[in-house]
Amino acid sequence: MSDHTATIESQFWRQISRTFVNWSLFRQIMSFVLFLVLWSAIVVAVDYFQQIPTPKAVFMALFETPFKVVLVNMLKSFIRVLAGFFLGILIGFPIGVAIGYSKVAKGLIFPAFEMVRPIPPIAWIPATVLFFVHIESQIIFLTFYGAFFPVVYNTMGGISEVDIRLPRAAMSFGLNKRQMLWKVILPAAMPQIFTGMKLAMGITWILVVAAEMMANKGGMGYYVWYNHTVMDYPHVVLGMGIIGLCGAICSIGIAWVGNYFTRWQRIF
Amino acid sequence: MSTSNQGSEVIFNNVGKMAIFKKNQTVILKNCSFTVEPGKLTVLIGPSGCGKTTIINLIAGYERPDIGRVKMDGQPITGPNWERLVVFQETALYPWLTCYENVMFGPLSRKVMTKEKAHEETLKLLAKVGLEDFRDKYPSQLSGGMQRRAELARALINQPKVMLMDEPFRGLDAMTRQLMQEYYLKLFEETDASHVFVTSELDEAIILADNLLIMTNKPSKIQKIIEVDLPRPREWSMVTSKRYLEIKAEALELLHEEAVKASTTSGKVDVDLSGLLEPVNTD
Repeated sequence: MSDHTATIESQFWRQISRTFVNWSLFRQIMSFVLFLVLWSAIVVAVDYFQQIPTPKAVFMALFETPFKVVLVNMLKSFIRVLAGFFLGILIGFPIGVAIGYSKVAKGLIFPAFEMVRPIPPIAWIPATVLFFVHIESQIIFLTFYGAFFPVVYNTMGGISEVDIRLPRAAMSFGLNKRQMLWKVILPAAMPQIFTGMKLAMGITWILVVAAEMMANKGGMGYYVWYNHTVMDYPHVVLGMGIIGLCGAICSIGIAWVGNYFTRWQRIF
Repeated sequence: MSTSNQGSEVIFNNVGKMAIFKKNQTVILKNCSFTVEPGKLTVLIGPSGCGKTTIINLIAGYERPDIGRVKMDGQPITGPNWERLVVFQETALYPWLTCYENVMFGPLSRKVMTKEKAHEETLKLLAKVGLEDFRDKYPSQLSGGMQRRAELARALINQPKVMLMDEPFRGLDAMTRQLMQEYYLKLFEETDASHVFVTSELDEAIILADNLLIMTNKPSKIQKIIEVDLPRPREWSMVTSKRYLEIKAEALELLHEEAVKASTTSGKVDVDLSGLLEPVNTD
């Protein structure tokens, strides 16, 4: 009897807690809190790590820097990333379509690409001096280069993996080649094309930071590197955090556009 | 939907077709001859992997015969055309278009209908296949049976002269399948187009067919043509009629022969080219 009453009672309290507390959200907030606590604890408790700025120091650094300095550096990085990213799409997308669509183009272009692609983009940093005089162009070339291959390869892959029945049906309906591309092949390949763009965006951020650290021309990479040289580590970590935030904003932006163009995928 | 267009006649004349898969050549069709009579429903049935889909592809114009001729109304078939439309195995609707946009896709792309006319025809067809309430749904939101009906509508709006049904009801559950067969029979009996229907289900084949073409194993040809003289409109109650059972017995015997042959030679048939120059032994 008492067992039975206990069960009912515990069910009652469970119901109450479910009604008033969003446990899923609570766990997600706890994840952040735990991370910050662990970070602080390690810095405070382990002597070896005492040079690492605490979360509090990083937070305070935010108010020490003139807001304008951060904003200008952010803007510089953003412009470089977006310039490279859109150049990568502008040039990479048509090439990806050509390789995916035509055997001749694939035969001519693909093997050479396969030779160059395994070179990590960062390895190109010194060589860019040979192509461009202006440092700004060198940086934008690097971000472009980082975006280029993911766009090309995913566009190509998306197109060559289209279910053959879709273009076949379109051939029967009497579509011409241009309609075939715009009305069938590209919509079908769209999800993978956006996968490529997401990857491209991530890589352009890696490259812009690396390039700016070398270049002495401003940007968030330079901001981090500069504060490293003056040993102002709270600002280094702050800069890192801002770079992460910028990257996140960009990938959310792309995901948002991508979701719009592939909204049919998410409806059930 | 107007039914002014006449069904076409399709003739296979000694067609041979090879396929190359991983450097192995396979003869799929050999000396394959038959006629799809205008306005009739021709059903192809045979062991799985015997080249039924190849026949559909040849009529649709996606593939060309290596030997022999495939003609429609006396003209050789040179490529895909809206006069010969395929309803594919599983769905081949465009997943990024709504049901409504899918149906009007053909005529709008060819610019043979104004938007208003296409809109009108699409609504009429969607009502006919019972999807008027689902016009703004994407294919992924439709059940299997609905997808098949939407695909039927998408083909029918083009008023094809030959409809090619490539195992269209495969993968549907038994109840849905029977409903689809009834739908399809009604649609067929209302149009004048010739239909070619590929299946591996004997009951489905007999209840639908005017002419039942039984195919041999690879290299395939037509083993026997059975004329199904059950009255139209067809109903499922006919499966118990005497004539139906006679036809079924005859077809079963022929199919059984092929199945036995397949089970004793399969695995080799795909790769062994020797002996394919002679007709297949029938003992």
